[in-house]
Amino acid sequence: MDSAKQNKIRKFEEFVDRRLKPDLVHAIAQRDKVFEQQKIFSDLRRNIENLEKNSVTSLRTLVNLGSEVYMQADVPDTRHIFVDVGLGFHVEFTWSEALNFIAAREEKLSRQIEEYTSLIASIKAQIKMVCEGIRELLQLPVTEL
Amino acid sequence: METMGTVTPISSVFPAEEAQKASRRVQDTIAERQQQLDQLKGFIDDNISVINLVQKLPDETHHNIMVPFGKAAFFPGRLIHTNEFMVLLGEGYYAERTAKQTVDILKRRGKALETQVESLKAIMQDLEAEASFFDATAQESADGLVEIREDYVEEASSRAETAGYGKPDPTFSLEKDARKFSVEDEEYNRIFSRIDELEKEEEEAEKGNESDEDERIQNEPDSNISEMSTHQEVRSSPVQVVDVAKAPEAPAVSKGDGSLHCDYPPLNRSTMSKALELPEEKKKVQAPPSTSNMAFTGSIVEHAHNIGMNMLEQQTGARSSKPVSRFKMQRK
Repeated sequence: MDSAKQNKIRKFEEFVDRRLKPDLVHAIAQRDKVFEQQKIFSDLRRNIENLEKNSVTSLRTLVNLGSEVYMQADVPDTRHIFVDVGLGFHVEFTWSEALNFIAAREEKLSRQIEEYTSLIASIKAQIKMVCEGIRELLQLPVTEL
Repeated sequence: METMGTVTPISSVFPAEEAQKASRRVQDTIAERQQQLDQLKGFIDDNISVINLVQKLPDETHHNIMVPFGKAAFFPGRLIHTNEFMVLLGEGYYAERTAKQTVDILKRRGKALETQVESLKAIMQDLEAEASFFDATAQESADGLVEIREDYVEEASSRAETAGYGKPDPTFSLEKDARKFSVEDEEYNRIFSRIDELEKEEEEAEKGNESDEDERIQNEPDSNISEMSTHQEVRSSPVQVVDVAKAPEAPAVSKGDGSLHCDYPPLNRSTMSKALELPEEKKKVQAPPSTSNMAFTGSIVEHAHNIGMNMLEQQTGARSSKPVSRFKMQRK
């Protein structure tokens, strides 16, 4: 009977270590990626709003060629902007179109973040539950963590 | 010199599993280094492609490109001033350079990367040697190799005075100690005893001839004794050497876990890398017996033949010390 219990505890621990914890790490990494996307688009929105406010039509900037070597670049017409819409496609937008697209995109990204957050919470809850199960099997007293 | 050394199977000092564990840990470190190496190689490739680009750009006055605007957007635009580059010097400082100057900077960067790669490769070689050493230890431990250890007795000289010439001592110890090289050693002991006899005869003859020179006679035994004692010391040193060669690795390797291979690489880089070519290494470590007391030889392998060779060296050294003392004697 004792060995059966030991077996069960080991199975539970393996489930936590091999399944739940990697899942948790994966979910958190995914959410971080979405956070990054969100930041990129909010930066872009702020930049376009800046251009609009200052009514900039031509732009001179420095382009990174790699290895932190920069060269001057000239943009004669900033009213048309190519925005990444995913899967490597870029769509030519005017400023207002771009802002509309970015708003839609941001909404979607924040929804994704919420999804991942709840997924992470549920994985954490599962881990906690399995740990509680192990505790019961070992008949240890309840400890507040 | 009667209770002389202990015999312990290597497997009791470093069990095979432990040695394998150590080897695995070193392998992990090697994998880590390999990743670093790949990263550096990536940097080098990037650097080369940037050099090519910088060399090509000034060929035309402008290039039509898509100018990145943030990470997710582009503007159609063009590169202008194609012979002016802003190059990062480090710490946030940039310098405006021409294409040629930029290429020079990038080439210097490439060289620095190359040296980093070289040093990383050297480190990896050392680690590989270490790993193979651990593997060898595991193998030996599994094969049931035996370690023989003896304590080096410092007051060998005083004993020589009381017990006469310690001729049987080395042979005795060596017989216990080793199986293969005792033959050569006995030969040397024979030579030594012969020399000693000759010396005694000489002494006697001198006593007979120059009995009127009191000073001489009084001096003689003293110098002789001192000479004996030097023999004894030198002759017993092989025992010490054998001991030294084996003793230090017991603490070092039996540490077993983390600390072991952290303090290896800097300390033992040279010795470890040579651990494979044991003959050379052993000789090097054993040559100065007094200092090697403190040094870690990094080898457990008992290459009896090799030690025998070393003793040969040691004893020829002892012989060479003889003429000096005799010369001293005659000078008196």
